[in-house]
Amino acid sequence: MIEIQRTRIDVEAVVDSVRRNDAGAIVVFLGTVRADPDVRALDYEVYQSMAVRTLTELATRAREKFGILELSIVHRAGRVPVGEDSVVIACAAAHRSEAFAACSWVMDEVKQIVPIWKTEAGPAKRRARRP
Amino acid sequence: MQIQVRLFATYREIVGEGQLAWTLRDGTTVRQLLEAVLAEYPRLLGHEKGMLLAVNHEVVRPDVVLREGDEVALLPPVSGGRR
Repeated sequence: MIEIQRTRIDVEAVVDSVRRNDAGAIVVFLGTVRADPDVRALDYEVYQSMAVRTLTELATRAREKFGILELSIVHRAGRVPVGEDSVVIACAAAHRSEAFAACSWVMDEVKQIVPIWKTEAGPAKRRARRP
Repeated sequence: MQIQVRLFATYREIVGEGQLAWTLRDGTTVRQLLEAVLAEYPRLLGHEKGMLLAVNHEVVRPDVVLREGDEVALLPPVSGGRR
């Protein structure tokens, strides 16, 4: 499951998308919008067609690199309020060590190479979020 | 030939449009297109650091030659963030 959506992410559905009988571990990562000072939401701008393609390639590379069984990535686009999930990654593997490793690696890659940009939305100002 | 230029985030805000139709001579490279865009929108100058260029959704080197109908994207550095 590779998706970019403007609505709230159904975490249970993402987890279910990677369930397999030969998996002994599922690792789930939720990236959530943090309440920094003056931040009420983050606005995510997405180059949709390239982002889907890049995420799909990432999932393939993760399977090859870590020998995991299934990987799903769902990312939000548009405005995401504080407290909501902006990205959900679920990774199924035979054993937990490769599932943890793959999930962490995928999230780092998402932050580096997927064409998604975020801007802070506060009470009265908009600015690019500092790293 | 005609191509499309896509602009995102900071670049879109500076230019004021997310998509531009651009006419080029045959044989134009991505680098030459970028130079033309910067000449047309000089306020983009100084924002090239970390820019990636994509043609048809794939990151390319600047010496790639463009073809009719290509979609070229100027991509600012993505969100990053601490681990």
